[in-house]
Amino acid sequence: MFKKTNPLQSKSEIILRNIVVLAMVIFFTVFLIVPIGIAFAGSFHEWNPLSGTYRFLGLENYKEVFTSALFGKSMLNTVIFSAVVIFFRVGLGLGIAYAIYSTLIKYKSFFRAVYYMPVVTPMVAVAFVWKFMYNPQIGTINQIFGLDVNWLMNPKTALLAIMIMTIWKDFGYAVVMYMAGLYSLPTDALEAAKVDGANAWQTFRYITLPLLKPMTLFVIITSIISYLQAYVQILIMTEGGPGTATYLASYIIYDEAFVKYNFGYASALSFVLFVITAVFTWLSFRVSGTED
Amino acid sequence: MKKRVFAAVVAAAMVVTAFTGCGSTGSSAGSDSKSEAKAEVPTEPFGDTVKYDPSVELNDGKDITVELWEWGSDELFQQIIDGYTAIHPNVTINLVDNPWEDYWTKLPLALDGNNGPAIFNVHNSYHENLINYMAPLDIPTEDLEADFNGVSAHVIDGKVYYIDYGMMTGSVYYNKDMWEKAGLTDDDIPKTWDEMIEVAKKLTIKDGDKIVQAGLNFNDDFHQNYLLGLNYQLGENLFKEDGVTPNVNSDAMKKVMQMLVDMYDVDGIGSKDFGEKAADSFGQGQSAMVIQWGHYYNTLKTTWSNIDFGVFEIPTFDGEPYAYNRYNGESTFGVNKNAPADQQAVAQDFVKYFLANDDAQIAFNLAMSTFPAKKSLADNEKILENPSLKVLSEHIDHYIWPGPMPATVETSLKKAGEDVFFNGVDIDTALDEAEANITKDMKNSTFKSVENLYEYAK
Repeated sequence: MFKKTNPLQSKSEIILRNIVVLAMVIFFTVFLIVPIGIAFAGSFHEWNPLSGTYRFLGLENYKEVFTSALFGKSMLNTVIFSAVVIFFRVGLGLGIAYAIYSTLIKYKSFFRAVYYMPVVTPMVAVAFVWKFMYNPQIGTINQIFGLDVNWLMNPKTALLAIMIMTIWKDFGYAVVMYMAGLYSLPTDALEAAKVDGANAWQTFRYITLPLLKPMTLFVIITSIISYLQAYVQILIMTEGGPGTATYLASYIIYDEAFVKYNFGYASALSFVLFVITAVFTWLSFRVSGTED
Repeated sequence: MKKRVFAAVVAAAMVVTAFTGCGSTGSSAGSDSKSEAKAEVPTEPFGDTVKYDPSVELNDGKDITVELWEWGSDELFQQIIDGYTAIHPNVTINLVDNPWEDYWTKLPLALDGNNGPAIFNVHNSYHENLINYMAPLDIPTEDLEADFNGVSAHVIDGKVYYIDYGMMTGSVYYNKDMWEKAGLTDDDIPKTWDEMIEVAKKLTIKDGDKIVQAGLNFNDDFHQNYLLGLNYQLGENLFKEDGVTPNVNSDAMKKVMQMLVDMYDVDGIGSKDFGEKAADSFGQGQSAMVIQWGHYYNTLKTTWSNIDFGVFEIPTFDGEPYAYNRYNGESTFGVNKNAPADQQAVAQDFVKYFLANDDAQIAFNLAMSTFPAKKSLADNEKILENPSLKVLSEHIDHYIWPGPMPATVETSLKKAGEDVFFNGVDIDTALDEAEANITKDMKNSTFKSVENLYEYAK
C-alpha cells in the first residue's frame, strides 16, 4: 500500500545529519565526557591545579568522604532542603496552575508571567535581595511582621529562611509546567466525569491528578537534580553558617575546590553526589511506577 | 634626591595626563601649559642600600613591552609605571587590572604558560599557588635586610622571591561624635581590655533590652581581628614549635574567645544579632567602636566619608604584651620565571626601582594604609600624618607575622566562633574542632610558620 522509503531522502540530508551528529559528539566529548574523565581521575589524587600538585592517593579521598561528619551533615541538610522545597514547589505550582486554569480567572497570561518572573531572575540577585530582607535591623521581613529574628544567623531559622527564598523563586517553574500539562489534558475524560456527576474535587482527584502524573514526575526529577546541586543561595546568604548549619552537599564541593583548591577531594565528593543523584532519580521513577 | 624622584614621577604622570586630554578633547590653555612641563628624569643613583641607577640602559635601548598584572589599584600602579618609563622610554609596561576574585584563578594559569605577565602583584595568602612560578629577586638578601623589616621571613633556601613593602594590622576605630556625646575625652582612650569594656559600656545605648547603638561590634570579623592576634598578647603563638602544628585550641585562644562572649553576654556592649558586619555597622553609624585593619581607614574615607572617626592602638591585657597583634605584609611584585629573559630583566629592574624609590614606597603605603617596611620611612612625616599608621609607630616592632597561613586557619576559626555564638557549642569543643579541621586541611601544605623569627621570640 505504501511505498517503502529511505528516511534520508538525499545525499545532502545525509551530509547534514552527519555534520550535526558529529558536532554534538564533539561538543559533548570536549565539554562533558573529557572533563568528567579528568575529574574522575583527579578524584584519586591530591590535586591542586594552581600549584601544580597531582599526587596519586588511591581511594583515600573517597574514604574521607564517607567518614566525614560534615559531609553527612550536609547530605542530611540537602535531603531536608530538597524535600521541603520540592514539596512546596510542586504543591504551590499545581495549586496556582489549577487556579489560573479555572474558568473563574481572567488575564491568565498576566498571572503566568508574574509567577514566572522570579524563575528568570538570576539566583545571585534574588539571594542578595532576600538577604537584605532578612537583615535583623533593617530587613523588611522583621519590620512587616514585627519580629526580632536574626534569620540567617540562627541555626533554627537559617536553612528555613533559605528554603522560603528558594520556594518563592522556583515555584513559578512548576506553575508553567502544570499549566502546559493542564491544557493538554484530554477533554473527553473531563467531560465524561462531568456527565457521570463527579464534583470538582472528584474530577481533580481521580481524573486530573492521575493524568498530570508524568508532568509531576518531570517536575520532581528536574527539581531533585537541581536542588542536589544548590549552592549559590548558600554562598551568598550564609556561606554555610552559622558554623556549618547550612552546609549543603554542593556547597562543600565549592568550598573544597574553589576556597581550599583541594580539587581531588572535591572531585570525589562530586562523584559521590552524582551517584546519589542517580539513585534518587531512579527511586522517583520506581515510586511513580514509570520506570520503563 | 628623594624630592627629585618624586617630582619626576609626578611630572611624568602630568605629561601622560596632558597627552590623554589633548587626544580626546583637543587643545586648551590648561593642557597646553601641562604639555609644556618637562619630565625631570632622575640621572643619579637613588635609594638606601638597595640602590637604583637610572643611567643603566635596559634591553640595549631596544623597545620592549611587558605586562604587569594587578588587582584594584590601577591608578597607583600606573603612577609608578609612568615614573619608570620616563627613565626608560624604550620600555612599555601594559597594566592589566583584574577583579580580585578572578585574579587568583587567572594568574597561576597564565604563569604556567608562555604568555604570562613578566611582573605581577602578589598577595602572600596565595603564596603556595604562586611561588613555583616566581624567579628569585636579583638583589642581595643582605641589602634587602639592611633596608626593610621582615625580610628574613621571606628567605627560601637562601633566596628571596618577594618581600613586604608594608605591614598591615588592626587598630581601634571610634566614632568621635558618639565619643563626645558619651562625655568621653582623649584621656579616656583605653590602654587595657578592662578599660576598653568600661568605655564601650558608656558608648552603648539601649532601648529596654534592645541595643540601639553598640559600644563595640566584632560581628563577622572576630576571627580575623581578635582570635588571630590577641593570642600573641598572652604569649602564645598560632603554631607549635615545629611551625606546622596548629595551636588554636590553646589557653590563650580560649581566654580571648571567653572575653568576646562576655563582652556581649555579660557586659552587654554589643550583640551577635546587632549589626550584621562590624565594619558596615560602624560605617552606618550603628556602632561606636570596631577593630579593623589598616585598609579600613581608606574605606571610611571613601565609602563612609560622613563618619568623623579617630584611631587608637589596640588595647592589651596587662600593658606589656609579648606582642600587640598579628600583622600581614603587603607584598612587593613577583617576577615570572617563565617569561622570556629580556622581559625578566625588565621585571627585575622594575622591582629594584620600586624598592629604592621612597616616594613610590610612601605612595603605596598610604594608599594601602600599611606601615612602611622600609626602615628609613618609619618616621616619615607623610606616613605619620595618617592616624591609622601613627598609632602603630611606637610599637611596630612588637607585631608578629605568622607567615602566609592557609585560608583554613581563618575559616575554621570563623566557624568555631559562629558555633560558640550562634549554635550553643562550648568554647573547648569549638576550638578543638577548629584545630582538628586546620590539621586535616594542612596535612599536604608546605606552610611553615615564621613566628620564631619575631624579634622578641621567646
